[in-house]
Amino acid sequence: MRAPLLLLLMFLVFVVPVVLLALSSLAPGWRFPNVWPEAFSLRALVYLLQHRGQILISLGSSFLFSLLTVLTTLGMCLLPASVFAGREFPGKTLLEGLLLAPALVPPMTFAMGLHFLLIKCSLADTLIGVVLVLAMFSYPYMFRALVAGFQTMGVDYRACAQNLGAEPVRILLTVELPLLLPAIIAGGSVVFLVAFSEYFLVFLIGGGAVPSFTGRLIPLLSSSDRSLASILTLIFLFLPIALFVILDTTLVRVYRKKGMM
Amino acid sequence: MGDSGFQTDPGEPSNMNGAKRILKLCPLLVPYAALFCGGVFLTVSQSFGLLTPIPYGGGHLEAYAGLLSSPSFYASFLFSLQVGAVSALCAVIAGTLLAYWVWRLPARLQTAALIYKIPLILPHIAVAFVVLLLWSRSGILASMAHSMGWIETMREFPNVLYSGWGLGMIMAYCLKGIPFAMLLVMALLVRFDARQIETAEMLGASRTRIFFRIVLPRVAPAVHTAFIILFLYSFGAFDIPFVLSESRPGMLSIHVYNMYFKRDLADRPEAMAILVIMFCFAVLFIVAYSMAVRRLESAERKI
Repeated sequence: MRAPLLLLLMFLVFVVPVVLLALSSLAPGWRFPNVWPEAFSLRALVYLLQHRGQILISLGSSFLFSLLTVLTTLGMCLLPASVFAGREFPGKTLLEGLLLAPALVPPMTFAMGLHFLLIKCSLADTLIGVVLVLAMFSYPYMFRALVAGFQTMGVDYRACAQNLGAEPVRILLTVELPLLLPAIIAGGSVVFLVAFSEYFLVFLIGGGAVPSFTGRLIPLLSSSDRSLASILTLIFLFLPIALFVILDTTLVRVYRKKGMM
Repeated sequence: MGDSGFQTDPGEPSNMNGAKRILKLCPLLVPYAALFCGGVFLTVSQSFGLLTPIPYGGGHLEAYAGLLSSPSFYASFLFSLQVGAVSALCAVIAGTLLAYWVWRLPARLQTAALIYKIPLILPHIAVAFVVLLLWSRSGILASMAHSMGWIETMREFPNVLYSGWGLGMIMAYCLKGIPFAMLLVMALLVRFDARQIETAEMLGASRTRIFFRIVLPRVAPAVHTAFIILFLYSFGAFDIPFVLSESRPGMLSIHVYNMYFKRDLADRPEAMAILVIMFCFAVLFIVAYSMAVRRLESAERKI
Protein backbone atom coordinates (compact mmCIF):
# COMPACT_ATOMS: atom_id res chain seq x y z
CA MET A 1 0.00 0.00 0.00
CA ARG A 2 1.16 3.53 -0.72
CA ALA A 3 2.80 5.13 2.30
CA PRO A 4 0.78 8.39 2.41
CA LEU A 5 -2.48 6.51 2.03
CA LEU A 6 -1.56 4.09 4.81
CA LEU A 7 -0.55 6.87 7.18
CA LEU A 8 -3.72 8.78 6.39
CA LEU A 9 -5.82 5.71 7.15
CA MET A 10 -4.01 5.15 10.44
CA PHE A 11 -4.35 8.83 11.30
CA LEU A 12 -8.10 8.64 10.69
CA VAL A 13 -8.58 5.54 12.80
CA PHE A 14 -6.17 6.18 15.66
CA VAL A 15 -5.63 9.94 15.97
CA VAL A 16 -8.87 11.56 14.85
CA PRO A 17 -10.79 10.13 17.84
CA VAL A 18 -8.32 11.87 20.16
CA VAL A 19 -8.71 15.15 18.27
CA LEU A 20 -12.48 14.80 18.58
CA LEU A 21 -12.14 14.16 22.31
CA ALA A 22 -10.05 17.31 22.66
CA LEU A 23 -12.61 19.33 20.70
CA SER A 24 -15.49 17.88 22.63
CA SER A 25 -13.84 18.64 25.97
CA LEU A 26 -13.60 22.31 25.02
CA ALA A 27 -17.14 22.55 23.67
CA PRO A 28 -19.69 21.56 26.32
CA GLY A 29 -22.73 22.41 24.18
CA TRP A 30 -21.54 20.68 21.01
CA ARG A 31 -24.39 18.59 19.68
CA PHE A 32 -26.41 17.66 16.64
CA PRO A 33 -26.59 19.12 14.01
CA ASN A 34 -23.37 21.13 14.38
CA VAL A 35 -20.38 19.63 12.63
CA TRP A 36 -18.16 22.16 14.32
CA PRO A 37 -18.82 23.40 17.87
CA GLU A 38 -20.73 26.69 17.98
CA ALA A 39 -18.92 27.97 21.01
CA PHE A 40 -15.90 26.94 22.97
CA SER A 41 -15.70 27.24 26.72
CA LEU A 42 -13.47 26.10 29.50
CA ARG A 43 -16.38 24.83 31.57
CA ALA A 44 -15.03 21.29 31.70
CA LEU A 45 -11.62 22.53 32.81
CA VAL A 46 -13.25 24.66 35.50
CA TYR A 47 -15.21 21.62 36.66
CA LEU A 48 -11.97 19.67 36.74
CA LEU A 49 -10.34 22.32 38.93
CA GLN A 50 -13.35 22.62 41.20
CA HIS A 51 -13.49 18.88 41.79
CA ARG A 52 -9.74 18.43 41.76
CA GLY A 53 -9.80 16.92 45.25
CA GLN A 54 -12.01 13.98 44.29
CA ILE A 55 -10.41 13.58 40.90
CA LEU A 56 -6.91 13.53 42.34
CA ILE A 57 -7.98 11.02 44.96
CA SER A 58 -9.41 8.66 42.35
CA LEU A 59 -6.41 9.21 40.10
CA GLY A 60 -4.01 8.63 42.98
CA SER A 61 -5.87 5.52 44.08
CA SER A 62 -5.87 4.09 40.54
CA PHE A 63 -2.19 4.89 40.29
CA LEU A 64 -1.43 3.27 43.63
CA PHE A 65 -3.24 -0.01 43.01
CA SER A 66 -1.82 -0.25 39.48
CA LEU A 67 1.72 0.24 40.76
CA LEU A 68 1.17 -2.26 43.57
CA THR A 69 -0.19 -4.70 41.00
CA VAL A 70 2.98 -4.35 38.95
CA LEU A 71 5.16 -4.98 42.01
CA THR A 72 3.00 -7.94 43.09
CA THR A 73 3.17 -9.57 39.66
CA LEU A 74 6.93 -9.01 39.61
CA GLY A 75 7.29 -10.71 42.97
CA MET A 76 5.07 -13.56 41.86
CA CYS A 77 6.79 -14.16 38.54
CA LEU A 78 10.51 -13.51 39.01
CA LEU A 79 11.66 -16.88 40.35
CA PRO A 80 9.11 -19.00 38.43
CA ALA A 81 10.12 -17.26 35.19
CA SER A 82 13.76 -18.21 35.79
CA VAL A 83 12.66 -21.83 36.16
CA PHE A 84 10.62 -21.69 32.96
CA ALA A 85 13.47 -20.06 31.02
CA GLY A 86 15.72 -22.91 32.09
CA ARG A 87 15.89 -26.50 31.05
CA GLU A 88 12.93 -28.71 30.29
CA PHE A 89 11.18 -30.58 33.05
CA PRO A 90 8.27 -32.97 32.95
CA GLY A 91 4.93 -31.24 32.58
CA LYS A 92 6.45 -27.90 31.60
CA THR A 93 4.22 -27.25 28.59
CA LEU A 94 1.06 -28.20 30.45
CA LEU A 95 2.01 -26.07 33.45
CA GLU A 96 2.80 -23.10 31.23
CA GLY A 97 -0.58 -23.43 29.52
CA LEU A 98 -2.35 -23.59 32.88
CA LEU A 99 -0.45 -20.58 34.17
CA LEU A 100 -1.42 -18.47 31.17
CA ALA A 101 -5.13 -19.30 31.58
CA PRO A 102 -6.07 -16.37 33.88
CA ALA A 103 -5.37 -13.93 31.04
CA LEU A 104 -7.46 -15.92 28.57
CA VAL A 105 -10.64 -17.04 30.32
CA PRO A 106 -13.20 -14.29 31.00
CA PRO A 107 -12.02 -12.66 34.25
CA MET A 108 -15.56 -12.60 35.62
CA THR A 109 -15.56 -16.38 35.85
CA PHE A 110 -13.00 -16.55 38.62
CA ALA A 111 -13.42 -13.03 40.01
CA MET A 112 -16.99 -13.57 41.18
CA GLY A 113 -16.10 -16.75 43.05
CA LEU A 114 -13.04 -14.98 44.38
CA HIS A 115 -15.23 -12.14 45.59
CA PHE A 116 -16.97 -14.53 47.98
CA LEU A 117 -13.60 -15.82 49.19
CA LEU A 118 -12.31 -12.29 49.75
CA ILE A 119 -15.45 -11.37 51.69
CA LYS A 120 -14.79 -14.34 53.97
CA CYS A 121 -11.19 -13.19 54.49
CA SER A 122 -12.47 -9.60 54.94
CA LEU A 123 -10.32 -8.49 52.02
CA ALA A 124 -13.26 -7.37 49.91
CA ASP A 125 -13.60 -3.57 49.66
CA THR A 126 -9.91 -3.16 50.44
CA LEU A 127 -6.94 -2.06 48.41
CA ILE A 128 -5.21 -5.41 49.01
CA GLY A 129 -8.19 -7.30 47.61
CA VAL A 130 -8.22 -5.13 44.49
CA VAL A 131 -4.49 -5.60 43.97
CA LEU A 132 -4.79 -9.37 44.43
CA VAL A 133 -7.54 -9.78 41.86
CA LEU A 134 -5.84 -7.45 39.36
CA ALA A 135 -2.55 -9.28 39.81
CA MET A 136 -4.25 -12.62 39.28
CA PHE A 137 -5.74 -11.37 36.02
CA SER A 138 -2.65 -9.62 34.65
CA TYR A 139 0.40 -11.59 35.83
CA PRO A 140 0.66 -13.70 32.63
CA TYR A 141 1.92 -10.60 30.77
CA MET A 142 4.68 -10.08 33.33
CA PHE A 143 5.43 -13.80 33.31
CA ARG A 144 5.84 -14.00 29.52
CA ALA A 145 8.03 -10.88 29.47
CA LEU A 146 10.27 -12.20 32.25
CA VAL A 147 10.67 -15.64 30.66
CA ALA A 148 11.76 -13.94 27.44
CA GLY A 149 14.04 -11.64 29.45
CA PHE A 150 15.75 -14.55 31.22
CA GLN A 151 16.18 -16.30 27.89
CA THR A 152 17.88 -13.35 26.17
CA MET A 153 20.05 -12.74 29.22
CA GLY A 154 21.31 -16.31 29.19
CA VAL A 155 23.08 -17.95 32.09
CA ASP A 156 26.65 -16.75 31.53
CA TYR A 157 26.37 -13.67 33.76
CA ARG A 158 24.99 -15.78 36.57
CA ALA A 159 27.74 -18.38 36.11
CA CYS A 160 30.38 -15.66 36.11
CA ALA A 161 29.08 -14.09 39.31
CA GLN A 162 28.82 -17.53 40.87
CA ASN A 163 32.40 -18.36 40.02
CA LEU A 164 33.47 -15.10 41.63
CA GLY A 165 31.74 -16.26 44.79
CA ALA A 166 28.53 -14.21 44.85
CA GLU A 167 25.58 -15.40 46.92
CA PRO A 168 22.35 -16.29 45.04
CA VAL A 169 20.48 -13.32 46.52
CA ARG A 170 23.28 -10.96 45.59
CA ILE A 171 23.39 -12.36 42.06
CA LEU A 172 19.68 -11.79 41.72
CA LEU A 173 19.77 -8.24 43.03
CA THR A 174 22.98 -6.85 41.58
CA VAL A 175 23.48 -8.86 38.39
CA GLU A 176 20.19 -10.25 37.10
CA LEU A 177 17.65 -7.60 38.08
CA PRO A 178 19.49 -4.72 36.34
CA LEU A 179 19.89 -6.83 33.22
CA LEU A 180 16.23 -7.82 33.34
CA LEU A 181 15.07 -4.23 33.66
CA PRO A 182 13.97 -3.87 30.02
CA ALA A 183 11.86 -7.04 30.31
CA ILE A 184 10.44 -5.90 33.65
CA ILE A 185 9.50 -2.55 32.15
CA ALA A 186 7.92 -4.18 29.08
CA GLY A 187 5.83 -6.55 31.20
CA GLY A 188 5.23 -3.93 33.86
CA SER A 189 3.81 -1.38 31.43
CA VAL A 190 1.26 -3.88 30.13
CA VAL A 191 0.30 -4.88 33.66
CA PHE A 192 0.08 -1.23 34.68
CA LEU A 193 -2.17 -0.37 31.74
CA VAL A 194 -4.41 -3.38 32.32
CA ALA A 195 -4.82 -2.50 35.99
CA PHE A 196 -5.18 1.23 35.40
CA SER A 197 -7.88 0.85 32.78
CA GLU A 198 -9.91 -1.95 34.36
CA TYR A 199 -13.35 -0.97 35.53
CA PHE A 200 -15.30 -4.08 36.45
CA LEU A 201 -12.85 -5.96 38.68
CA VAL A 202 -12.11 -2.83 40.72
CA PHE A 203 -15.80 -2.13 41.04
CA LEU A 204 -16.57 -5.73 42.06
CA ILE A 205 -13.81 -6.23 44.60
CA GLY A 206 -13.31 -2.62 45.66
CA GLY A 207 -17.06 -2.18 46.06
CA GLY A 208 -16.83 1.61 45.90
CA ALA A 209 -14.57 1.73 48.95
CA VAL A 210 -11.51 1.79 46.71
CA PRO A 211 -11.84 4.84 44.45
CA SER A 212 -10.72 4.46 40.86
CA PHE A 213 -10.45 6.74 37.88
CA THR A 214 -12.53 4.42 35.70
CA GLY A 215 -15.22 4.39 38.40
CA ARG A 216 -15.15 8.20 38.31
CA LEU A 217 -15.49 8.20 34.50
CA ILE A 218 -18.36 5.70 34.14
CA PRO A 219 -21.25 7.88 35.41
CA LEU A 220 -20.05 10.77 33.22
CA LEU A 221 -20.12 8.69 30.03
CA SER A 222 -23.90 8.69 29.87
CA SER A 223 -24.33 12.36 30.84
CA SER A 224 -25.63 14.66 28.15
CA ASP A 225 -22.71 16.99 28.62
CA ARG A 226 -19.94 15.08 26.94
CA SER A 227 -17.16 17.55 27.68
CA LEU A 228 -16.46 16.17 31.15
CA ALA A 229 -16.13 12.59 30.01
CA SER A 230 -13.94 13.76 27.12
CA ILE A 231 -11.51 15.62 29.31
CA LEU A 232 -11.19 12.74 31.80
CA THR A 233 -10.61 10.36 28.89
CA LEU A 234 -7.80 12.60 27.67
CA ILE A 235 -6.19 12.43 31.11
CA PHE A 236 -6.37 8.66 30.75
CA LEU A 237 -4.39 8.92 27.56
CA PHE A 238 -1.75 11.43 28.53
CA LEU A 239 -0.95 10.32 32.04
CA PRO A 240 0.41 6.88 31.01
CA ILE A 241 2.20 8.42 28.02
CA ALA A 242 3.90 10.94 30.31
CA LEU A 243 4.77 8.14 32.67
CA PHE A 244 6.32 6.01 29.93
CA VAL A 245 8.33 8.93 28.56
CA ILE A 246 9.72 9.74 32.01
CA LEU A 247 10.51 6.08 32.64
CA ASP A 248 12.21 5.72 29.30
CA THR A 249 14.42 8.81 29.63
CA THR A 250 15.47 7.98 33.20
CA LEU A 251 16.26 4.43 32.15
CA VAL A 252 18.43 5.61 29.28
CA ARG A 253 20.19 8.05 31.60
CA VAL A 254 20.85 5.38 34.21
CA TYR A 255 22.18 2.98 31.60
CA ARG A 256 24.48 5.64 30.14
CA LYS A 257 25.79 6.46 33.61
CA LYS A 258 26.59 2.83 34.25
CA GLY A 259 28.14 2.50 30.82
CA MET A 260 25.70 -0.20 29.78
CA MET A 261 24.72 1.54 26.57
CA MET B 1 25.53 -12.94 24.67
CA GLY B 2 22.88 -13.86 22.14
CA ASP B 3 20.99 -17.09 22.31
CA SER B 4 23.42 -19.08 24.31
CA GLY B 5 20.55 -21.41 25.10
CA PHE B 6 20.10 -23.29 28.27
CA GLN B 7 21.36 -26.68 27.24
CA THR B 8 24.72 -26.30 28.92
CA ASP B 9 23.22 -24.43 31.86
CA PRO B 10 26.37 -23.90 33.91
CA GLY B 11 24.59 -21.56 36.33
CA GLU B 12 22.27 -24.15 37.71
CA PRO B 13 23.75 -27.26 39.20
CA SER B 14 23.01 -29.98 36.69
CA ASN B 15 21.15 -31.95 39.31
CA MET B 16 18.72 -29.15 40.15
CA ASN B 17 16.22 -31.35 41.85
CA GLY B 18 12.45 -31.25 41.70
CA ALA B 19 12.09 -29.93 45.23
CA LYS B 20 14.16 -26.83 44.56
CA ARG B 21 12.30 -26.22 41.32
CA ILE B 22 8.94 -26.47 43.05
CA LEU B 23 10.16 -24.12 45.76
CA LYS B 24 11.10 -21.57 43.13
CA LEU B 25 7.71 -21.95 41.45
CA CYS B 26 5.88 -21.41 44.76
CA PRO B 27 5.51 -17.61 44.57
CA LEU B 28 3.32 -18.18 41.53
CA LEU B 29 1.77 -21.57 42.28
CA VAL B 30 0.46 -20.66 45.73
CA PRO B 31 -1.52 -17.56 44.67
CA TYR B 32 -2.59 -19.40 41.52
CA ALA B 33 -4.04 -22.24 43.56
CA ALA B 34 -5.56 -20.00 46.22
CA LEU B 35 -6.97 -17.18 44.11
CA PHE B 36 -7.52 -18.52 40.58
CA CYS B 37 -8.36 -22.14 41.33
CA GLY B 38 -10.10 -21.09 44.55
CA GLY B 39 -12.15 -18.52 42.65
CA VAL B 40 -13.13 -20.98 39.94
CA PHE B 41 -13.92 -23.62 42.56
CA LEU B 42 -16.28 -21.25 44.39
CA THR B 43 -17.94 -20.20 41.15
CA VAL B 44 -18.54 -23.86 40.30
CA SER B 45 -19.75 -24.84 43.76
CA GLN B 46 -22.09 -21.86 44.00
CA SER B 47 -23.52 -22.78 40.63
CA PHE B 48 -24.52 -26.11 42.21
CA GLY B 49 -26.11 -24.26 45.10
CA LEU B 50 -23.32 -25.12 47.52
CA LEU B 51 -21.42 -22.62 49.70
CA THR B 52 -23.82 -19.87 48.67
CA PRO B 53 -24.20 -16.76 50.90
CA ILE B 54 -27.65 -17.96 51.90
CA PRO B 55 -28.78 -21.61 51.87
CA TYR B 56 -30.11 -22.55 48.48
CA GLY B 57 -33.40 -24.37 48.37
CA GLY B 58 -33.26 -25.88 44.90
CA GLY B 59 -31.55 -29.02 43.65
CA HIS B 60 -27.91 -29.09 42.67
CA LEU B 61 -28.56 -28.91 38.96
CA GLU B 62 -31.57 -26.63 39.06
CA ALA B 63 -29.66 -23.54 37.93
CA TYR B 64 -28.32 -25.38 34.89
CA ALA B 65 -31.69 -26.89 34.07
CA GLY B 66 -33.24 -23.43 34.25
CA LEU B 67 -30.61 -21.96 31.94
CA LEU B 68 -30.63 -24.73 29.39
CA SER B 69 -34.39 -24.54 29.04
CA SER B 70 -34.50 -20.77 28.59
CA PRO B 71 -34.39 -19.48 25.02
CA SER B 72 -33.04 -16.11 26.18
CA PHE B 73 -29.89 -17.79 27.48
CA TYR B 74 -29.20 -19.36 24.08
CA ALA B 75 -29.89 -16.02 22.40
CA SER B 76 -27.41 -14.26 24.68
CA PHE B 77 -24.83 -16.98 24.24
CA LEU B 78 -25.06 -16.80 20.46
CA PHE B 79 -25.01 -13.01 20.57
CA SER B 80 -21.83 -12.95 22.71
CA LEU B 81 -20.29 -15.53 20.40
CA GLN B 82 -21.14 -13.46 17.37
CA VAL B 83 -19.84 -10.17 18.79
CA GLY B 84 -16.64 -11.93 19.91
CA ALA B 85 -16.06 -13.75 16.64
CA VAL B 86 -16.81 -10.84 14.31
CA SER B 87 -14.77 -8.31 16.28
CA ALA B 88 -11.80 -10.65 16.74
CA LEU B 89 -11.82 -11.67 13.09
CA CYS B 90 -11.97 -8.07 11.84
CA ALA B 91 -9.33 -6.91 14.32
CA VAL B 92 -6.94 -9.73 13.46
CA ILE B 93 -7.29 -9.32 9.70
CA ALA B 94 -6.96 -5.53 9.79
CA GLY B 95 -4.19 -5.68 12.39
CA THR B 96 -2.13 -8.19 10.41
CA LEU B 97 -2.44 -6.22 7.17
CA LEU B 98 -1.64 -2.91 8.85
CA ALA B 99 1.34 -4.42 10.64
CA TYR B 100 2.68 -5.78 7.35
CA TRP B 101 2.19 -2.46 5.56
CA VAL B 102 3.78 -0.50 8.40
CA TRP B 103 6.71 -2.90 8.44
CA ARG B 104 7.27 -2.23 4.72
CA LEU B 105 7.29 1.54 5.25
CA PRO B 106 10.62 3.33 4.96
CA ALA B 107 12.34 3.63 8.34
CA ARG B 108 11.71 7.36 8.76
CA LEU B 109 7.96 6.88 8.38
CA GLN B 110 7.81 4.00 10.85
CA THR B 111 8.11 6.42 13.76
CA ALA B 112 4.96 8.19 12.58
CA ALA B 113 3.20 4.84 12.45
CA LEU B 114 3.62 4.56 16.23
CA ILE B 115 0.29 6.40 16.51
CA TYR B 116 -1.28 2.97 16.34
CA LYS B 117 -0.49 2.54 20.03
CA ILE B 118 -2.96 5.24 21.11
CA PRO B 119 -6.00 2.95 21.54
CA LEU B 120 -3.84 0.47 23.44
CA ILE B 121 -3.43 3.05 26.17
CA LEU B 122 -7.08 4.10 26.29
CA PRO B 123 -9.21 2.00 28.65
CA HIS B 124 -12.03 -0.04 27.17
CA ILE B 125 -14.68 2.26 28.57
CA ALA B 126 -12.95 5.26 26.97
CA VAL B 127 -12.89 3.53 23.58
CA ALA B 128 -16.57 2.74 24.01
CA PHE B 129 -17.14 6.42 24.72
CA VAL B 130 -15.35 7.37 21.49
CA VAL B 131 -17.72 5.06 19.58
CA LEU B 132 -20.65 6.68 21.35
CA LEU B 133 -19.36 10.15 20.46
CA LEU B 134 -19.05 9.21 16.79
CA TRP B 135 -21.97 6.92 16.07
CA SER B 136 -24.84 7.85 18.33
CA ARG B 137 -27.81 9.49 16.63
CA SER B 138 -26.81 12.83 18.11
CA GLY B 139 -23.16 12.14 17.43
CA ILE B 140 -20.56 13.61 15.14
CA LEU B 141 -21.20 11.35 12.16
CA ALA B 142 -24.91 12.10 12.29
CA SER B 143 -24.07 15.81 12.26
CA MET B 144 -21.82 15.29 9.28
CA ALA B 145 -24.50 13.39 7.43
CA HIS B 146 -26.87 16.23 8.20
CA SER B 147 -24.51 18.89 6.88
CA MET B 148 -24.01 16.83 3.72
CA GLY B 149 -27.76 16.90 3.27
CA TRP B 150 -28.09 13.13 3.54
CA ILE B 151 -30.46 13.28 6.50
CA GLU B 152 -32.92 15.89 7.76
CA THR B 153 -33.36 14.86 11.36
CA MET B 154 -31.52 12.74 13.91
CA ARG B 155 -34.02 9.91 13.50
CA GLU B 156 -33.03 9.35 9.90
CA PHE B 157 -29.48 8.48 10.87
CA PRO B 158 -29.10 4.68 10.91
CA ASN B 159 -29.48 3.33 14.40
CA VAL B 160 -26.03 1.80 14.45
CA LEU B 161 -25.63 1.44 18.19
CA TYR B 162 -28.96 -0.25 18.81
CA SER B 163 -29.34 -2.25 15.65
CA GLY B 164 -29.54 -5.55 17.51
CA TRP B 165 -26.31 -6.68 15.89
CA GLY B 166 -23.94 -5.32 18.48
CA LEU B 167 -22.26 -3.10 15.90
CA GLY B 168 -21.24 -0.49 18.46
CA MET B 169 -19.53 -3.09 20.62
CA ILE B 170 -17.90 -4.68 17.59
CA MET B 171 -16.47 -1.31 16.52
CA ALA B 172 -15.18 -0.58 20.01
CA TYR B 173 -13.57 -4.02 20.29
CA CYS B 174 -12.00 -3.57 16.84
CA LEU B 175 -10.56 -0.18 17.75
CA LYS B 176 -8.99 -1.79 20.81
CA GLY B 177 -8.11 -5.06 19.08
CA ILE B 178 -6.46 -3.84 15.86
CA PRO B 179 -3.48 -2.21 17.64
CA PHE B 180 -3.18 -5.27 19.86
CA ALA B 181 -2.96 -7.62 16.88
CA MET B 182 -0.54 -5.19 15.20
CA LEU B 183 1.70 -5.22 18.26
CA LEU B 184 1.90 -9.02 18.34
CA VAL B 185 2.44 -9.37 14.58
CA MET B 186 5.07 -6.61 14.45
CA ALA B 187 7.04 -8.31 17.20
CA LEU B 188 7.50 -11.27 14.84
CA LEU B 189 8.06 -9.16 11.71
CA VAL B 190 11.00 -7.34 13.33
CA ARG B 191 13.03 -10.52 13.12
CA PHE B 192 11.92 -11.30 9.58
CA ASP B 193 14.48 -10.94 6.81
CA ALA B 194 13.11 -8.56 4.16
CA ARG B 195 15.43 -10.09 1.55
CA GLN B 196 13.14 -13.10 1.38
CA ILE B 197 10.46 -10.82 -0.01
CA GLU B 198 12.87 -9.15 -2.42
CA THR B 199 13.92 -12.56 -3.69
CA ALA B 200 10.30 -13.59 -4.21
CA GLU B 201 9.65 -10.32 -6.05
CA MET B 202 12.63 -10.91 -8.33
CA LEU B 203 11.34 -14.39 -9.06
CA GLY B 204 8.08 -12.82 -10.16
CA ALA B 205 5.74 -13.58 -7.28
CA SER B 206 2.69 -11.34 -7.08
CA ARG B 207 2.04 -9.21 -3.99
CA THR B 208 -0.87 -11.35 -2.85
CA ARG B 209 1.19 -14.48 -3.30
CA ILE B 210 4.07 -13.00 -1.30
CA PHE B 211 1.74 -12.06 1.52
CA PHE B 212 -0.02 -15.41 1.71
CA ARG B 213 2.90 -17.72 1.02
CA ILE B 214 5.82 -15.96 2.69
CA VAL B 215 4.67 -13.42 5.25
CA LEU B 216 1.55 -15.04 6.66
CA PRO B 217 3.15 -18.39 7.60
CA ARG B 218 5.86 -16.44 9.42
CA VAL B 219 3.45 -14.37 11.51
CA ALA B 220 0.85 -17.13 11.94
CA PRO B 221 1.70 -17.84 15.62
CA ALA B 222 1.05 -14.19 16.53
CA VAL B 223 -2.16 -14.18 14.48
CA HIS B 224 -3.48 -17.25 16.31
CA THR B 225 -2.53 -15.88 19.72
CA ALA B 226 -4.17 -12.55 18.95
CA PHE B 227 -7.34 -14.26 17.75
CA ILE B 228 -7.68 -16.45 20.83
CA ILE B 229 -7.09 -13.56 23.23
CA LEU B 230 -9.34 -11.07 21.44
CA PHE B 231 -12.15 -13.54 20.79
CA LEU B 232 -12.35 -14.77 24.36
CA TYR B 233 -11.98 -11.27 25.74
CA SER B 234 -14.81 -9.77 23.75
CA PHE B 235 -16.89 -12.90 24.34
CA GLY B 236 -16.80 -12.51 28.09
CA ALA B 237 -15.73 -9.01 29.08
CA PHE B 238 -17.91 -6.52 30.83
CA ASP B 239 -16.60 -2.98 30.37
CA ILE B 240 -17.53 -2.23 26.75
CA PRO B 241 -21.00 -3.87 26.86
CA PHE B 242 -21.69 -1.92 30.05
CA VAL B 243 -21.32 1.33 28.10
CA LEU B 244 -22.66 0.24 24.72
CA SER B 245 -24.98 -2.62 25.53
CA GLU B 246 -28.22 -3.32 23.79
CA SER B 247 -30.89 -4.77 25.97
CA ARG B 248 -32.02 -7.74 23.94
CA PRO B 249 -30.32 -10.04 23.35
CA GLY B 250 -27.73 -8.82 25.85
CA MET B 251 -24.17 -9.98 26.31
CA LEU B 252 -23.72 -12.82 28.81
CA SER B 253 -21.54 -10.70 31.07
CA ILE B 254 -24.32 -8.14 31.44
CA HIS B 255 -26.80 -10.89 32.33
CA VAL B 256 -24.46 -12.17 35.01
CA TYR B 257 -23.99 -8.65 36.34
CA ASN B 258 -27.72 -8.04 36.55
CA MET B 259 -28.32 -11.33 38.32
CA TYR B 260 -25.43 -10.82 40.70
CA PHE B 261 -26.09 -7.24 41.71
CA LYS B 262 -29.66 -6.37 40.90
CA ARG B 263 -31.61 -9.47 41.83
CA ASP B 264 -31.67 -11.17 45.18
CA LEU B 265 -29.23 -13.74 46.45
CA ALA B 266 -31.49 -16.63 45.50
CA ASP B 267 -30.50 -16.07 41.87
CA ARG B 268 -26.82 -16.43 42.69
CA PRO B 269 -26.53 -20.08 41.48
CA GLU B 270 -27.94 -19.14 38.10
CA ALA B 271 -25.45 -16.27 37.65
CA MET B 272 -22.64 -18.63 38.62
CA ALA B 273 -23.92 -21.33 36.25
CA ILE B 274 -23.64 -18.88 33.34
CA LEU B 275 -20.06 -18.16 34.41
CA VAL B 276 -19.25 -21.86 34.60
CA ILE B 277 -20.59 -22.39 31.10
CA MET B 278 -18.53 -19.43 29.86
CA PHE B 279 -15.44 -20.82 31.57
CA CYS B 280 -15.90 -24.29 30.08
CA PHE B 281 -16.50 -22.79 26.66
CA ALA B 282 -13.30 -20.72 26.91
CA VAL B 283 -11.21 -23.73 27.92
CA LEU B 284 -12.73 -25.94 25.23
CA PHE B 285 -12.17 -23.25 22.64
CA ILE B 286 -8.49 -22.80 23.54
CA VAL B 287 -7.87 -26.55 23.43
CA ALA B 288 -9.79 -27.10 20.20
CA TYR B 289 -8.20 -24.11 18.48
CA SER B 290 -4.64 -25.06 19.39
CA MET B 291 -5.26 -28.65 18.31
CA ALA B 292 -6.69 -27.51 14.99
CA VAL B 293 -3.70 -25.22 14.39
CA ARG B 294 -1.26 -27.99 15.23
CA ARG B 295 -2.97 -30.42 12.88
CA LEU B 296 -3.06 -27.84 10.11
CA GLU B 297 0.63 -27.10 10.53
CA SER B 298 1.67 -30.73 10.50
CA ALA B 299 -0.46 -31.31 7.40
CA GLU B 300 1.29 -28.40 5.68
CA ARG B 301 4.68 -29.74 6.63
CA LYS B 302 3.86 -33.09 4.99
CA ILE B 303 3.11 -31.33 1.72
